[in-house]
Parts: sequence; structure tokens; C-alpha cells
Amino acid sequence: MDDDGGNGPGSGGQPAIRVRELRKTFRVAEREAGLRASVRSLIKRAHRDVDAVAGVSFDVAPGEVVGFLGANGAGKTTTLKMLSGLLHPSSGEIAVLGHTPARREREFLRRITLVMGNRNQLQWDIPALDSFEMNRAVYRIPEAEFRRNRDELVELLEIGDLVRKPVRNLSLGERMKAETAAALLHRPQVLFLDEPTIGLDVTAQKRIRAFLAEYNRRTGASILLTSHYMADVQALCNRVVVIDAGQVLYDGGLRALTTRFSAHQTITVGLPEGGADLSGYGEVLESTPDGRTSLRVPKTQAGAVAARLLADHQVSDLTIEDPPIEDVIEQVFADRSAVGAR
Amino acid sequence: MAAPSRAPRDAQALRLVATFLRMGVQTELQYRANVVFSVLQSVVAVATSLAVLGLVFSHTDALGGWSGEELLVVMGVYVLMGGVIRSVIQPNMQQLMEDVQQGTLDFVLTKPADGQLLVSARRFELWQAIDVVLGAVLVAVAVVRLDRPVSVIEVLGFLTALVLGAVTIYSFWLLLTIGAFWIVRVDSLVELFDGMYQAGRWPVSVYPGWLRIGFTFLVPLAFAITVPAEALTGRASGWLLLGAAAFTVALSVLTRVLWRVGLRHYSGASA
Amino acid sequence: MTQVARAGERRRLTGLAGFYAVVMRTAVQTQFQYRTANYLYMVGMIAEPVIYLVVWSAVAEAQGGSVEGITAGEFAAYYIVWTLVRNMNIVFTPYGWEGRIRKGELSGMLVRPVHPIHYDLAYFAGWKFVVILLWVPIAAVLSLVFRPTFDVSALELLVFLVAIWGAYLIRSMLLWALGMVTFWTTRVSALYELYFTAELLLSGRLLPLALLPGWAMTIADWTPFQYTFGFPIEVLAGDLSTGELWTGLGLQAVWTAIGALLVAVVWRFGIRRYSAVGN
Repeated sequence: MDDDGGNGPGSGGQPAIRVRELRKTFRVAEREAGLRASVRSLIKRAHRDVDAVAGVSFDVAPGEVVGFLGANGAGKTTTLKMLSGLLHPSSGEIAVLGHTPARREREFLRRITLVMGNRNQLQWDIPALDSFEMNRAVYRIPEAEFRRNRDELVELLEIGDLVRKPVRNLSLGERMKAETAAALLHRPQVLFLDEPTIGLDVTAQKRIRAFLAEYNRRTGASILLTSHYMADVQALCNRVVVIDAGQVLYDGGLRALTTRFSAHQTITVGLPEGGADLSGYGEVLESTPDGRTSLRVPKTQAGAVAARLLADHQVSDLTIEDPPIEDVIEQVFADRSAVGAR
Repeated sequence: MAAPSRAPRDAQALRLVATFLRMGVQTELQYRANVVFSVLQSVVAVATSLAVLGLVFSHTDALGGWSGEELLVVMGVYVLMGGVIRSVIQPNMQQLMEDVQQGTLDFVLTKPADGQLLVSARRFELWQAIDVVLGAVLVAVAVVRLDRPVSVIEVLGFLTALVLGAVTIYSFWLLLTIGAFWIVRVDSLVELFDGMYQAGRWPVSVYPGWLRIGFTFLVPLAFAITVPAEALTGRASGWLLLGAAAFTVALSVLTRVLWRVGLRHYSGASA
Repeated sequence: MTQVARAGERRRLTGLAGFYAVVMRTAVQTQFQYRTANYLYMVGMIAEPVIYLVVWSAVAEAQGGSVEGITAGEFAAYYIVWTLVRNMNIVFTPYGWEGRIRKGELSGMLVRPVHPIHYDLAYFAGWKFVVILLWVPIAAVLSLVFRPTFDVSALELLVFLVAIWGAYLIRSMLLWALGMVTFWTTRVSALYELYFTAELLLSGRLLPLALLPGWAMTIADWTPFQYTFGFPIEVLAGDLSTGELWTGLGLQAVWTAIGALLVAVVWRFGIRRYSAVGN
């Protein structure tokens, strides 16, 4: 198990993103329900400081694709906003391509992009092609380069027909593809993607995913991605940073995450004579009529249980697997969700 | 059969309305800066109206046969009715429009109460209702300053005309909004009405013939503002009030019918 | 050194000009699609000047033909030019800021390397070309109904064509600065109303400034409002001397500069606030 891909910056050179002890504290008004409380809050309002991000550090190497995971309210979006210069950190350091994002220098903004899956940046009433034109002007992309990038993106995303229709006539999946193309016209070196596939159907998700992988391969851009779809993360990222309650819970390879957080493994065993009750060996997850049974067993005992099964029964085949990554992540959050920070 | 089940349902609907009202008040109370500003805003608006009146009457003694004091009555009714519109009618109708556009009207229609009542009473903007008070004060001041005494009959006529006027304006707004069931973008119609309502500052008799007819029947400003003011300044006959009542009833029935038709259209379209 | 800086500056300007061209083209394209809605809106707007016109015409009639020397025909001219000037000075509404911030549109604008005010200035400027096109028939109908009296020289026409854009710029800056108050507090409609009321009374929107009492006229002279309404209208419909024409244009330039400065300052603090609390 040493496919613990790229923990930390790649060999030599500056990291594309460098985050140290990042912190963001919001002051929120406390408000109780009910008419009386409303009246009272007219006079005096209670405040409370909430740490949305509480000391986060990590690096992203040039060309690296990192999944940024966490439950709702864990601090993902707040961090992304600080990285893209929309929010000032309360304390800590950020360097993105050597820039301090909060200064919002034009040079910095020209080298990054921020895609938010649930937000629309294309002009609603005109074809995407015209919105592209606007981005050319915004990012001052030289004409030849613009054409080359545009044609390449249109081809990669297969949106040649769509970009001529008014954006309002596109389906969500189509629009997201056009949206993605628009966000990458200026060839950003760092991509912040916040739920880039949210609400899309499976085919469209796959398409975007494949495209992002290809873009990363061709341009060597760094990508920091949040998603609720583990398929996105599995397809694109070798490395994940899991945050919870504003702190880094895990930073490392995707596979290692499973090893570390899952205390269980799944043993699937095939018995040709069928019908045996295997509940004595572990928790039965599934049992099919043709004699295959899945068992959930503590990881430390997996080997011993398998040996016992082989000894006690005539076994046609047996596999030991780690649980699917979704289940692992879910478990990670389930363990911590009681904290309920925001 | 229907009668016994009807009463509790109505009571329930009223309770629902009361709940909405309370929630509206609660929402408004959260924005404390708005209290000050809303009062300020109303006072400024009224001061503006008075300034306009003052400006006009600094250059003349009468306008279309109305004296300054009599026009103050018109202005008062205009402010009062504006308060009713902005605190209850407009917020509800805009909410309805949004709901139709976004398909969220379903949530309202699945509630066990009369749909028209619900969509008309969901929102209440407390601070806007200050205009109702200010308008009433203006009318009272104007009445005191009139050089002729006002009879009880005239006051009753005024109050009747006021209620009829409010119902007329409500029906008119709902009619506009129902348009949203067919044309999706009716926002510009709202702008249109806002512009037209301004005309109510002045009695409709000031306007040239074709505009006067428009402000009487197309945008019923005459019934909402001029008629109540006429009742209080001794210009209205019983026949006029009767006519206003007939118009109000006719418009309400029309609105009710079109609401039903619109709903059918909506359910058909969204299914 | 200076030469390098200047070259850089020039490149930036061409870049920005390119941006304006693209955005204006987009605005024309989009708003032309919405010509029906645009028309309804414009027709609705006519109610306002028509009411003023009717009232002042009635007053003029009651006073034996004119008020302070302004005849019914001159009132008609004033309020018909009013409709064009009003359409020219419609800019991004301060009420729009709440939605911009709440829906995250502003975030989208902030991650782009162009100051967002350029987008608004360009977009609304482009829109004006559609508006002017749609306005012509409306003006024709109003002229047939209300019989305005005009006496326009070539110079006045020229100054008018500049002054309507001056009005546009001044009002853009002022309302942008005002709208940014939303960075600090959301429910700001009352403040806006206050502003619009002051504008209504002191700009020449409600009535020609000559009809204001003397003290109010003095106040109006110290505010920017009349350069967004009264001044451009009177260039065409009124009887300004050549000196007054040039002074007016000069003061429009001054107020544009003050407005731009205001926007720059409020923007700086506003963004500081925005990036401290998010949305």
C-alpha cells in the first residue's frame, strides 16, 4: 500500500498553493425564535464568534489534483473563497502561485479560476460563444490564443453545437459544460472547483470529469476540487484533504484514507453447497441464492475469519475488500458530525 | 351539507392568516434599522406630497375646481391607500408572481384553505402600514381646515367608499398578477401600475378626457382615491357611491372567476 | 522608466476599450431580445411626466396661459425631453446590490481582473442605444398629443448630446456609491427612498427648477441632481445662454469626477468589509 500519491509538494520547486495555519472567524448574531425574542433583539443583539476555518495547513504542488472533502459547513467553501481572494483570512498565510489572494492583484486573478457548480456566470440571454468573447476582453486574451483555447475547449467538451444557442435554452448539464469552458478560456494555472458537477446527471458528470483530467494532463494546472460525489474525487484525485469543523482531519492518498478510517473489511465468500448460516463469522451484509455471502468483519480479524471460513467450509472463492470510499467518508463524517460546527 | 363544514374551515383559514400576520411582524422586527428608516421614509414621502401640493398652490389658487384643502383630502386618501397597497396587497402579489414563475405555488395550493385567501394574506409589511396612519392624519387635518362642516353621512359615505376602493385596488392587482399564469414576465406590468398609481395624487377630473376614462375603468384610481375624497368634500351623490359599489362587486366577481381559470391553467401547465 | 509605464498604461486602455465594446454589444443584443418588455416599461414610465405635464398645464391655464413665464407648450417640450433624459439616466439600481451579494454574483465579478463598475457602465451604455431607438416613436406620439414648442440651435443640440451622457455618468457613479451601502447593511430601501426623494424635488424631475422657491433653488445648486435631469432637459427645451451651456457641461465633468472618487473610496472600504464577512 504505498500508492499514497503526492503527499505535500512535488519534488523540488514552489508549491502552487501554500496554506499555513489558515483561520477565519465570523461574528454571527444570535437570534432566538419567537415574537418576544424578535422584539428583544431590537434593543440588544447577542453575538458569538464562530471559527469557520480553524488553523488549516496544506500544500498543492503544480499539476496536482487535490480533493477537498468535508461535510456541509466544514469550512470547504470558506477556504476556497479565501484561496481565490474573496475573503480575507482572520489569520494565517496563503500563497497561490506566489500571490497573496486577498490583495486581488490582476495578475493573480488572470492566473486562477473559480467555478461554482450552482452559480451562473454566463450571460443568460445570449449564446455562450458571445460570453466567451466577453471573457476574452475581461482576461485580455490575445486573439490567436483565444481562438486556439476556445476551439480546443469546445472540442474537448463536445459543445460545438451548444455554444451557438442562447444559454437559457441549454439543459443544466449543457450549461455546466459551457460554463466550464468559459472559466478556462484564459488557461488558468490554478483551478478552484466548488461542486463542479452538482445536480448533473451521471453522463454529464462523467464528461466533465474526463475533461478536467484531460485539461490537467494537457496544461499541468493545479486543481483543488470539492465535491459531494465521491466518483469525482476517485476519478480525479490521488490525494485528498479532509476537513471537519474547520480543521484538517486527514491529508494524504485516497487509498490510505480507507486504510486509516475504516476499521472493517468485507469478506465475500462463495459456497457451492450454499445455504450455510455464516452469521457466526461476522455481520452478514448480503446473501445471494447462488451461495455468495458478504460479511463485514473488523479489519484486524479479517485474516483469521477468512482462515476459519476456509477451514470450516468448502469454499469456491473468497475475497477480502476494503469498503467503498463513499462509505468510508460517510463514516468519517458520521463520527465527527456531532460537533456540528459552522 | 356544505354549511356545517364551511364554518370551521373559514375559522381555520382566518387562524392561518393570523399566523402569517404574526410571522410577518416578526420578520419585520428583526431589522431594527428598518423601523427608523421606514418611519422616516413615510414621513419623507408625505412631506414630498405636501411640498408638491405647496409648489402647485404657490402658483395658483385652484386646480380643476378643487381648493388646496380639498386636494389635501385627495392626497391623504392617496397616502392611506398607498399604505394599504404596500403593506398588504403588493407584497402578497409579488410573492404570488414569484411563486408562479418558480413553480412554488404548489406548496400553497396543497394547503387545506381557500387559495385566493392564502395568496392574498401571506405577507404583511408592518412598517409600510404607517402610511395608513399618516394618510388618515392628513385627511383629518384637511377636514378641520375645510371651510364647511362635514356631516356624519358624508363621513360614513367616505368610509364606505374607502373600503370599496381598497377592494377595487386589490382586485385590480390580483387581475394583473393572474396574468402571470399566462405571460411569465409580468414584472413590467407592476412597473406600469406603480407609474399609473402616481396619477392618483390628483383628482381624476384634472386629467383630459381620454386619460380620465382610463384612470376610472382601466386603472381604477377614480374609485380608489377620487371617489372617497369626493364623498368627504360633498361632491358625491348616493348614486355615485352605488355605482362604485356595483363596480367593486363586478370587478371582484370577475377576479374570482379569472383566478379559478388561471389556477386551472397553472395546474395544467405545471403537471 | 516613464516610457515603460506609459506604454503599459496605453495597453491597459485599449484593453479596457475592448472590454467596453464587447459588453456594449452584448447589452444591445440582449436588450433587443427584450424589446417588448423594454417597451412596456418605457410606456409605464410615461405616466409620470404626463401627470406633471397635465397638472402644470392646468395651472398655466388657470393663470391665464403661463406660470413664471413658462407656457403650456414649453411645459410640453420640457416633459417630452424629460422622457429621453430619464431613459438615459436609468442605471444599475442600488436595490440590485442585495441580490448581487446574496446570490454570489459579486463573487463571480471579483474573481475577474476587471473592476465591476466597468461592466455596469458598459452594459447600461449599450442598452441606451436600444432605448433611444425605442424612444423615438413615443416622443412622436407625445408631441402630437401635447404640442410642444421648441427653439433649438445647432449648439444646443450638440451640447445636449454630450449632456445626456454626462447625466448618465453622474447618476451611475452616485447610485453605485449609494448601492454599496448594502455591504454594511442589507435593508437599505428607506435610505434609497430618501435619496430618490431629494433627487425628485431638486433635480428638475418633478418640475422645472425655475418653479422652486428661491431657497430651494439655492440648495439645488449645491447638489449634483440637476445635472442628471434639469440641465440636459433645459439645454434642449429651455432657453440657456451659451455661457450657461458651457458652465453646465463643466459642472457635469466636476460632478462625474466627484462621483468617481466617491465610488473609489466606498468601494475600497466596502470590499474590505465584504471580504471580512463574506455573504
